[in-house]
Amino acid sequence: MPASAMPLPTMTHSSAFLLPASSSSAPRADDAAASTTYALVVLNQRLPRFAPLLWAQARLRLCADGGANRVFDGMPELLPAEDPDEVRARYKPDVIKGDMDSIRPEVKEYYSNLGANIVDESHDQDTTDLHKCISYITRNLPGTENSNLCILVVGALGGRFDHEMGNINVLYRFSNIRIVLLSDDCSIILLPKTHTHEIHIERSVEGPHCGLIPIGAPSTSTTTTGLRWNLANTSMSYGGLVSTSNIVEEDIVTVTSDSDLIWTISLRH
Amino acid sequence: MAPAPPLPTMRHSSAFLNPSSPAPPDDACATLALVVLNQRLPRFAPLLWSRAAVRVCADGGANRVFDGMPELLPGQDPGEVRARCVTSKPVTDDAYKPDVIKGDMDSIRPEVKEYYSNLGTKIVDESHDQDTTDLHKCVAFITQNPPVPDKSNQLCILVLGALGGRFDHEMGNINVLHLFPNIKIVLLSDDCLIFLLPRTHRHEIHIERSIEGPHCGLIPIGMPSTSTTTTGLRWNLYNASMSYGGLISTSNVLEEDKVTVTSDSDLIWTASLRD
Repeated sequence: MPASAMPLPTMTHSSAFLLPASSSSAPRADDAAASTTYALVVLNQRLPRFAPLLWAQARLRLCADGGANRVFDGMPELLPAEDPDEVRARYKPDVIKGDMDSIRPEVKEYYSNLGANIVDESHDQDTTDLHKCISYITRNLPGTENSNLCILVVGALGGRFDHEMGNINVLYRFSNIRIVLLSDDCSIILLPKTHTHEIHIERSVEGPHCGLIPIGAPSTSTTTTGLRWNLANTSMSYGGLVSTSNIVEEDIVTVTSDSDLIWTISLRH
Repeated sequence: MAPAPPLPTMRHSSAFLNPSSPAPPDDACATLALVVLNQRLPRFAPLLWSRAAVRVCADGGANRVFDGMPELLPGQDPGEVRARCVTSKPVTDDAYKPDVIKGDMDSIRPEVKEYYSNLGTKIVDESHDQDTTDLHKCVAFITQNPPVPDKSNQLCILVLGALGGRFDHEMGNINVLHLFPNIKIVLLSDDCLIFLLPRTHRHEIHIERSIEGPHCGLIPIGMPSTSTTTTGLRWNLYNASMSYGGLISTSNVLEEDKVTVTSDSDLIWTASLRD
């Protein structure tokens, strides 16, 4: 009988960034969340309805190429009670990065005139737009350690399947950085096998459906708590069991696995 | 050591998407079955519907057909589009009434269910079975009830509404491709198509250049690949390793009319669709 292994360190996850802005200054139960620094990356798909909420919490906002079109067109649509020109001027990205083959010329000029940093990367065909943005953030958010940084990404899911899969691969390639991919329907994060995970569920905005997906490699043993159909040293793989249409039952879900997993949870409308 | 025998070749073609191709389009997909899941219909839904020998809606997919077919055929009377009846021939041009509606029945609107039931659609309530996804149930149904039994080895199941939306649904749908590796199943959206390339075969993918591309990818979604080799792409692979956390082939570009892929691992092939 092998000696028991050192327990894995615990990584906590919170979706507090999805909660509507509150004027109350009540201290948060989760200190880690209170000291989190958010960055926002906008990729080239229709903005989700909560984009203004995420924008408000981010210290750094990047658009990947055509994501700038989406902000230019989409923010006024999401804030129809306000003057479109005022909205556009207020929701100005700090950086626009990428190939520049999708951004409309007038959009590029508009944000450039407002002082956005335009970083043309058309020479680099080896990494995806999201990868370039994550690299930029890690180099340019001063005084931030990875454990306090959370990068929120909109527009990474749906659309072209190879884009979506490439975006998910970015989570694996930057596995030591918290990156959340968000759409109107759901959010996804990587749960690295190096940690036991505590996922704090914001029941007012998330759920009930969730899943654990062994993308990239099978899992021989995964154990969970807090789900309707918990796993107990269960194997998961493509071609076998993949946990989909599961249900969140408790406010904290725990996951321990021998393999990197993707956690996904539906978002309430 | 004697060399391993060469893998058998599997041919793939998306001619079913080409309005100019005669029907049935190709030996590789001589018989088409269509499954409609619960997402907005892609623009080519009427074309595929007209070419399918059997049409199955999974639960709320029936709402999408009821609402969506008239929208995609705006010059025609909605009531007429919905109600066009099938005659005794299995394949007709203009019937937008599903043959079967299958699943939990928790998404289909009651009036939609009643409407199609009155027209003769078979309603199969599977709410007791929570272990398999709606797509899995539909694929199992089609394989157990092949539309053209003596051509079941040329059956191709086309699926609408499997991509996008809730991510766990999408991943569960992709797992169905892996659970039925011997059946050609193609997941389609307005933006792209995907299908499984089982490692048991060498693959020849015939490209409909008027419909598909230019972008494509090869995705080792279930496990890493130690060695994949391709031809016909802008950035071909030569015994290349692919894995999540490492290289996966995305934003590749189709260069030739035929792409070949050989791999030691199951891969998902994806090609973008032209607007």
